[in-house]
Amino acid sequence: MAEVTSHAAVTVGGHAHEHHDHEHHGNFWTNYVFSTDHKVIAKQFMITGIIMAIIGIGMSTLFRLQLAFPDTNFPVLEFFLGKWAPDGKLDPNFYLALVTMHGTFMVFFVLTAGLSGTFSNFLIPLQIGARDMASGFINMLSYWFFFASSVIMLISLFVETGPAAAGWTIYPPLSALPEAIPGSGVGMTLWLVAMVLFIASSLMGGINYIATVLNLRTEGMSFDRLPLTIWAFFVTAILGVLSFPVLLAAALLLLFDRSFGTSFYLSDIFIGGAAMHHQGGSPILFQHLFWFLGHPEVYIVLLPALGITSEIVSVHSRKPIFGYKAMIGSILGIAFLSFIVWAHHMFVTGMNPFLGTVFMLFTLVIAVPSAIKAFNYIATLWKGNIRFTTPMLFAIGLVSFFITGGITGIFLGNAALDIPLHDTYFVTAHFHLVMGSASAFGFFAGIYQWFPKMFGRQLNARLGYLHFWFTFVSLYLVFFPMHFMGMGGVARHYYSQTAFDFMNVFGDLQVFITIAAIIGFFGQFFFLWNFVTSIFWGKQSSLNPWESNTLEWTTPLHPGHGNWPGAIPAVHRWPYDYSRPGVKKDYLPQHIPDEEVEYEEGFKPELDPHHAPAPKRKQETGEKTETAE
Amino acid sequence: MDAQSLISLAQWLLVLILGMVCANLYLVFRLKDLDPFARWNANLINAWLLLLFMIGGFIAAAVSTGVWKEHFTLVFDSASEHGEWIDAMFWRTMAVSIFVTVITNVLLFYYAWRYRAREGQKALFYPHNNKLELIWTIIPAIVLTALILDGAFKWLKITGPAPDDALLVEVNGKQFAWTARYPGADLEFGETNVRLIDEGKGNTLGFNLEDKRGHDDLVTNEMVIPVNTDIEMKIRSRDVLHSATLAHFRVKMDAVPGMMTRFHFKPTKTTAEMREIKGNPDFEYEMSCQQICGGGHWNMRLVVKVVTMEEYKAWAAQQQTFIASYRQLNPEAGGAQADASEAEATAPQMAVSR
Repeated sequence: MAEVTSHAAVTVGGHAHEHHDHEHHGNFWTNYVFSTDHKVIAKQFMITGIIMAIIGIGMSTLFRLQLAFPDTNFPVLEFFLGKWAPDGKLDPNFYLALVTMHGTFMVFFVLTAGLSGTFSNFLIPLQIGARDMASGFINMLSYWFFFASSVIMLISLFVETGPAAAGWTIYPPLSALPEAIPGSGVGMTLWLVAMVLFIASSLMGGINYIATVLNLRTEGMSFDRLPLTIWAFFVTAILGVLSFPVLLAAALLLLFDRSFGTSFYLSDIFIGGAAMHHQGGSPILFQHLFWFLGHPEVYIVLLPALGITSEIVSVHSRKPIFGYKAMIGSILGIAFLSFIVWAHHMFVTGMNPFLGTVFMLFTLVIAVPSAIKAFNYIATLWKGNIRFTTPMLFAIGLVSFFITGGITGIFLGNAALDIPLHDTYFVTAHFHLVMGSASAFGFFAGIYQWFPKMFGRQLNARLGYLHFWFTFVSLYLVFFPMHFMGMGGVARHYYSQTAFDFMNVFGDLQVFITIAAIIGFFGQFFFLWNFVTSIFWGKQSSLNPWESNTLEWTTPLHPGHGNWPGAIPAVHRWPYDYSRPGVKKDYLPQHIPDEEVEYEEGFKPELDPHHAPAPKRKQETGEKTETAE
Repeated sequence: MDAQSLISLAQWLLVLILGMVCANLYLVFRLKDLDPFARWNANLINAWLLLLFMIGGFIAAAVSTGVWKEHFTLVFDSASEHGEWIDAMFWRTMAVSIFVTVITNVLLFYYAWRYRAREGQKALFYPHNNKLELIWTIIPAIVLTALILDGAFKWLKITGPAPDDALLVEVNGKQFAWTARYPGADLEFGETNVRLIDEGKGNTLGFNLEDKRGHDDLVTNEMVIPVNTDIEMKIRSRDVLHSATLAHFRVKMDAVPGMMTRFHFKPTKTTAEMREIKGNPDFEYEMSCQQICGGGHWNMRLVVKVVTMEEYKAWAAQQQTFIASYRQLNPEAGGAQADASEAEATAPQMAVSR
């Protein structure tokens, strides 16, 4: 609190102009590198996340090439990959390494740190009306731990034995034994070290987000007036703080097994021509620990995207989000249930089958709050006045992915149906649509929506449309046919499906998917080009380009450290008063006091309109932040 | 399409994209007055594109399902008894899924198109409706309850104990091959331990030679099982995780080093019958590995033959017992083996895992 106040006091000083020589008059290093300003940290997370995404998606095009043309040599691959692609054909071990690193990069570095790191950091203080995070310093550390983790993970791509190759779930014994696969040598050690740093980063971020939302809301910003973005980020942070430590424990035990000869996960192993001394451990224990994080992780990835969508769908439909309280309830319901469904990843791993029924029950129950969210998005569109801006297109695309990908969860969550479908392309299709594509669209939607606030400039809309259509169509073309291959029994993680007759019939489909993937990959250049050029040369944005209600649009075009040059605005209503009857404009920002609302001529406002969802409580002062003035 | 034409396609695509980007940038930043797209209504175009995308998407999904469905091994023509229950449940679930996916996607894209922004139109202020919320909470809950009960009972039945007279077969996974083992005439497996594995001597499973129950075990590189017989499949691994997958029988269970897993099923169609159904004289049932296990993961194949009981018995009778093949490989071990057998009564039991 004290720190925030001091920022505020400094900020009040000279801020008629909006430019980069901020209050601190710090140098380049303190302003842009080791900054404690949440907005700068958010951009750091965003740019690191985008770089990791390019690498992660690039890897997928490499292994897609192998899957489509298992018998073809591409000399260019040997030029770039050397011994990993002898004669221009991927090495099977390196294929698995690519799959592993693709999963690791996309799940952790892009969709966890990239998505939450960018938008939780950027939006929490701006939308709740705070000068900065509860601890700017820890926030800065959070980014730099993430950065170190990314660097170590990237270094692991260049070690002699290759990067980790045991799948992103790094199941032991494969991940524990360098004799089993080369990637389990130094590459795996680096993976574990990088993940330890990543978890530390994630925890520092999460604690900060929770503390900020709990303590630094502006006057009038009660929990039932929080934008749904903030609700999603808040609950996501709680999920991360409760589940990531378990992954840390799992990773440390694995490190012990690898380096110090313990037997937490290993037992009765004969490999490399000799029996090992390990006795009494269980690989299943690792799976329990991993998925105790791994399943909440799915929602850590998805919930921020859904929160962003709630906000965007409402703003661009010019209509309140339908069922605000049901949306909050379903976020909480999904979050709670996500902790007691982890073993649905383990129905056929040798776990006691009775446990399977319990986990199956909770897994299918989670479909109910998910369905509520989907229906509420659709009801929000109904009788709206929809502006198809780029963020809105991505938000609609997200809802479509969420439905189409989510529905197959009903198959996979059913233990009996999971027997044949487990570890086939059906699973790949399911989670790439509902978790991968949907969350990536949340990331894109968020960038298109808040780019004007981040850089004071607008992204080019036409390039945005092209980017959307390329991405939307190609993602469906890539992942929808994978359901067919799943129903054909094609296994995941296969270097080539030519060994099995019943899988080998899908060769043409693999080629089709690869072409769609490459087109989609090139489609991302629309975005990259647009993003980079618009930062410097984009059209100057107006203060509230989307005519949105939330507080971030009340800041100056280039907000300094401390966000508002003057007092932090107080909040008088919920954030979704769009197209309110009688009000002149079709939006009514949160910070406008009731007395100052402009009504249509002849309209007599009721003091307590029937529909008003936000309670009329004036304010609970006390812990709020009327600091600056 | 071969790789070469893909590459040339990709090159053309790249050129096309770069060209479009350049053209667009030029128009946007330099020649606003000459912008031919300036009068296009982006809102209208996107609304229509979304609607067309949905219609095209449904047509494409339906047509491509028709094209590929003959290859849906996992959901048609199950070769086992429980597989038929699973297939039926799959299609019940699929019916619900298609219904829900179509309804929701149609509403999503139709509403998006129907309520696109227009001049002078104002959205309806409609923040909530508890009755609607209740409806779309309760209906999914009821449907899911039905699916849960359906699935849970089938799951417990499938994973329940096999009948006592079930035929025992053991599959052993290693990098990167499967080996089958049969208990032989005594219907009991001999003890094995990874510490006794001696590949040079042909003891690849680590038989404890002192355990005579193992002497008549059969170790084979193909799996032959009789039709219409309960099979209790024991699954083990000696190195990393594998997953014993019999796609045609809807069987899948991980092989876990340090513990034994199991799966019980009853094949209903012989290989010969399946060849007729598929119209493919070369058809074979195959066991694959579906838990990532290393560089040869994709190639870990075991041929499974389902035959009549008579054929099975004839086949089993032809197989060499473990101890016979062991002695053949290690002629010098004969004497030592006899000593070991004599010492068996007093020898301290080795730590073994079954």
